[in-house]
Amino acid sequence: MSKTFDRFAGITFLLIGLLFVLESRKISESSYGSEVGPDIFPIGLGILLILLSARLIYETFRYQVNQGEMEKVQYGKFIVLFVSAVLYAALLEPLGYVITTFLFLVIAFQTMERGKWIQTLVIASVFSFGVYYLFAEFLGGSLPGFPVF
Amino acid sequence: MSTLQFLMDGFGVAFQWQNILFAFVGVLIGTAVGVLPGIGPMSGVALLIPVTATLTAGLPPEAAAASSIILLAGVYYGAMYGGSTTSILLNTPGESSSVVTTLDGYQMARQGRAGAALSIAAIGSFAAGIISLIGLVLLAKPLSNIALEFGPAEYFSLMLLGLAAVSGLAGKSMTKALMMTVFGLMLGTIGIDAVSGIARFTYDLPILYSGLEFLTIAVGLFALGEVFKTVLERDQEEGAIAKIGRILPTKQDLKDSTVPILRGSFLGFFIGVLPGAGATLASFFSYITEKKFSKTPEKFGTGAIAGVAGPESANNAASGGALIPLLTLGIPGSGTTAILMGALIMYNIQPGPLLFDDHPEVAWGLIASMFVGNLMLLVLNMPLVKVFAKIIQTPKKYLLPIIIAISFFGVYAVQYTTFDLYLLLACGVLGYLLVRNDFPVAPLVLALVLGPMIENNMRRALTISNGDFSIFATKPISLVLLIVAAAWLLVPLLLKFKGRAIIVNEED
Repeated sequence: MSKTFDRFAGITFLLIGLLFVLESRKISESSYGSEVGPDIFPIGLGILLILLSARLIYETFRYQVNQGEMEKVQYGKFIVLFVSAVLYAALLEPLGYVITTFLFLVIAFQTMERGKWIQTLVIASVFSFGVYYLFAEFLGGSLPGFPVF
Repeated sequence: MSTLQFLMDGFGVAFQWQNILFAFVGVLIGTAVGVLPGIGPMSGVALLIPVTATLTAGLPPEAAAASSIILLAGVYYGAMYGGSTTSILLNTPGESSSVVTTLDGYQMARQGRAGAALSIAAIGSFAAGIISLIGLVLLAKPLSNIALEFGPAEYFSLMLLGLAAVSGLAGKSMTKALMMTVFGLMLGTIGIDAVSGIARFTYDLPILYSGLEFLTIAVGLFALGEVFKTVLERDQEEGAIAKIGRILPTKQDLKDSTVPILRGSFLGFFIGVLPGAGATLASFFSYITEKKFSKTPEKFGTGAIAGVAGPESANNAASGGALIPLLTLGIPGSGTTAILMGALIMYNIQPGPLLFDDHPEVAWGLIASMFVGNLMLLVLNMPLVKVFAKIIQTPKKYLLPIIIAISFFGVYAVQYTTFDLYLLLACGVLGYLLVRNDFPVAPLVLALVLGPMIENNMRRALTISNGDFSIFATKPISLVLLIVAAAWLLVPLLLKFKGRAIIVNEED
């Protein structure tokens, strides 16, 4: 539990709630003559979230923090993994499923632990080809398989 | 037709060859999910929804729904079996409902009785599974008949009760749990409003018109959140795995555990039926009860077999009991059942009182398949427990990237948009941050599923009453439900105020 995060989250959710209320007011009136239009529910939720966030911010000034239990965080591996996942998503359609999945897995395996290239290559190719052929050929699903030139 | 007749028809569905296969695959994957630390039943079920959706693509809609739900429910109760394996052999629970099993299970393993502990856990789980199924069969019809009397006002209050129950018990801070619930409800309002057809919060982005896909959010928050957590906070490598040795329990073991198994089953079933109180709570209660009833309470914690048999039966019975509110009332009581409900809705099958009349094939097929599945699990877990113990050793460096790849495949194969992949990654980071800071994500997912239904029922009720909000308080059933919902939130607060320790339900 961290006070800073809780405060930050409290303020963020407070703003989200505020934005929700403001944006809900712009939703057009109901057209079919009911008194309860499509804006009532979101406005109510926005107000609730504002109240709860305020309560959370208030709470952060009350409780004692017992720091020191937080584990050390390894950002390096995570960032490499996350960036390659974003690239995986971006390139999936242009490059096709098999190539991107293979590359992603190779990078990810090697990021987690260096070495053992043969195992890495075998598992990555079995997974990427296997899933594609099982799904697209055998089950008749549609996936962009290979790049279209 | 009588209940028995329906049940027989259900067995007809469950014994179709593809459904036997689906149940088998479900319980097999479920056991693996339970054994692997890091993937709980919730992320396991969420990850498999897209896979089952493609597997069943060729079947007619109702049969496809029946087959998928048979597989997904298999994962759910299969995980309850598997969870005990790591608790006993490694002293690390595979999922939260097996935490108490470590207390006596690991001690038994250290004394060389791991095999007995594992097999008692499997036998207890089996007995509990059957008992909770009988309960499900007996209660399903009467409960759904009551629920048929419900109008929109009652439904609205009932769903509020469901949300209140989950928020009231989830996590350490109720404020945070409620915030997550409201945030989930908000996310549910994005898209075209079903009543008026007006687009809300879409900002002219066509991709948002159909709303945020529940599946993407669930997989992101649970599965990816868990993966990111393991990458970021790489915990120390696990210790040595205890030897299993002789598998069959002795006569004395069986005698000592019969009563705890029965007690745990009934206790677990009734706790499971309550919304919000899931398998974790059930196993804790069972452990406490066994200790209280035992003639030798001092033996607990040093390898008492009752301390394994009771909780393991209770968590399995609870997972069966948790299906009752889902199937009969259409209200999921826990994170995992919320995901099962999302799966049913994907097939355009609305869980609830009409389920048993409109889609008997799905409802009774599922119930019958659970008899079959539990039998398979008993067979799988007794002789093959040594094989499953090997799964524990799957290196994380291969497991984690493959979980990411499966989530990508699953989301893309169902949605066909890159947008959902980015949303998935964002939810993964969000899920990690939220859980790390004690914001429970189960209420968020539950709210996301229930949100549109709550809103529609609220507006239908208000249309009936011409915008008068007192309709929720003047209908007696609705009033009672609202009072219970309020009590669910207020009682823990009062207890806390008095300085009493309260048990909170970890996500399951």
